[in-house]
Amino acid sequence: MSVTGGERARLIRRVALAAGVVALVLTASAATNAFAQAGLFGGLRPPADTGLLGWIVAKQALFYRALSGLIRAAKTDGSAYWGLMGISFVYGIFHAAGPGHGKAVISSYLLANEETWRRGIALSFASALLQALTAVVIVAVAAILIGATAKMMGDTVRVIEIVSYALIVLLGVRLLWVKGRSFLHALHDVRSKTEPLAAGANTGADLAAHGHCDHHSHHDHAHHDHAHDEDGHHGHHYAHAHSHDHGEEAGVLPWGHAHGPEPEELAGPGGWRRGLSAIVAVGLRPCSGAIIVLVFALAQGLFWAGVAATFVMGIGTAITVAAIATLAVGARSLAKRFARSRAGYGALMLRGVEVGAAVVVMAFGVLLLTGTVASERMGMF
Amino acid sequence: MIHRLIYAIAGLACLVAAAGRADAHPHVWVTMTEELLYAPDGSITGVRHAWTFDDMFSSFATQGMEQKTKGTFTREELEPLAKVNVESLKEYAYFTYAKVNGKRQRDAFLDPIDYFLEYDPKETVLTLHFTLPFKTPVKAKALDVEVYDPEFFIDFGFAEKDPVRLVSPPPQCTASVQKPHDDNFSAALRLDKSFMTSEANAGMGSNFANRISVTCP
Repeated sequence: MSVTGGERARLIRRVALAAGVVALVLTASAATNAFAQAGLFGGLRPPADTGLLGWIVAKQALFYRALSGLIRAAKTDGSAYWGLMGISFVYGIFHAAGPGHGKAVISSYLLANEETWRRGIALSFASALLQALTAVVIVAVAAILIGATAKMMGDTVRVIEIVSYALIVLLGVRLLWVKGRSFLHALHDVRSKTEPLAAGANTGADLAAHGHCDHHSHHDHAHHDHAHDEDGHHGHHYAHAHSHDHGEEAGVLPWGHAHGPEPEELAGPGGWRRGLSAIVAVGLRPCSGAIIVLVFALAQGLFWAGVAATFVMGIGTAITVAAIATLAVGARSLAKRFARSRAGYGALMLRGVEVGAAVVVMAFGVLLLTGTVASERMGMF
Repeated sequence: MIHRLIYAIAGLACLVAAAGRADAHPHVWVTMTEELLYAPDGSITGVRHAWTFDDMFSSFATQGMEQKTKGTFTREELEPLAKVNVESLKEYAYFTYAKVNGKRQRDAFLDPIDYFLEYDPKETVLTLHFTLPFKTPVKAKALDVEVYDPEFFIDFGFAEKDPVRLVSPPPQCTASVQKPHDDNFSAALRLDKSFMTSEANAGMGSNFANRISVTCP
């Protein structure tokens, strides 16, 4: 590769610019939504009867309203249970296709992290089912055991909500910390004059594949190859030799040893602990609709039908979220393919995307926490 | 290729961001009948709302409430709930917006009076009654009152039958009703308008609103 110093500097600027643009687009769109929601543009209301979103909104409203009739019918007609489950399932699918921060956080998380699509799907299902579970637990404890009023339940949800949003902020901060360091690292790799240019071709793939977790095993790439092989997905991509000398890098860089937790841990054994933070952050806050349906079912003396409906809704939700999550994983692997073709600059780009996604997660948490982004209302209104 | 990637990522970002919009599908349905109250001098003193909630929300709202007779609630039993309702409605400006001669009024209303909840045991639904007095009674050629939830958590809709009544109006005054789905604006135009006009200007959000227009020529 014969890249002159001038060309290199130009490329760095371009990649940095591109990364900046991506981060900007991500945050800007998040912010735009937030403003739109906050009514800063004058009470913008989603178009209720046109477009795809309008169609989704109309459909899920229809399904949601059908639930009450079906629960009533189930009291006397056993076959209504089938209808109830069917509608709950479709409602779940549509509900998740509509607005909601869960998808945004999960897909940003997946964009920021090296994940297989299978893990993305698992993450989606786990968070959606946790969401169903919290709704059931809240109604079971509050309404059945304590006999709490709607207001008390609303207040409970609000507390859970704050915890959940704080967790999203923490998740974002941690991602930003890890990804920011990797970004700086990649930036240094690109800038470093001491680095042999020929090795640059591997740097991209190397960075992408290992995210600099080489501090504990400087040349032990085989270890990581195994981790990926377990997922059976990306493994073969990294099976080529790495001539890149991380030892030298570590010696040169003040930030050479990134001791933060690495995304790869999630893909390997024990990674669930890290994935758990995303699952809990997203899944802790129950869906207002589920709580209302559960309380209604309880009042009709069909609590268990409500519980079943809630979990079926959760499965429907999970399917939609999983589809979006798969898209995010796909986008990421596209970014990685690009990164590999562009040597060090590509890696920098990939890191930029990750930083952008981390910023989005954090921004969502902050906006939700500060109430700039209105979430589902609970309580009396 | 770098451009293609940026487009791909930007596309995904938009998707995610669109998905990240706050809840925009209703969980509560309100069927409303409205009354506009006139003073003897012909000015409008306030708006009297009667909002009937859907059965699921009604059931949720009455959860844990004490009742002497199972299956029904008296007005007295619902009094604390009515209080909670109107108090939390304040935060949302009672979802009620007024325009006088086409000009949007800020803080047009005083706190609600004469509020109470009613339970219909047959339909198992709650109806919230409350009156919003105008800070200064309105005497104008044109008054628009709009009811909507900008966040669309609550789907407001007029009752099929007699949604609006003018209570002892001057003879020349007439009222008409416009439902959100009546208008001919496309979604794109709405969005455009919403972004381009500030709230201080006329008509913000009104394209989506349930609107009562009273004209006294």
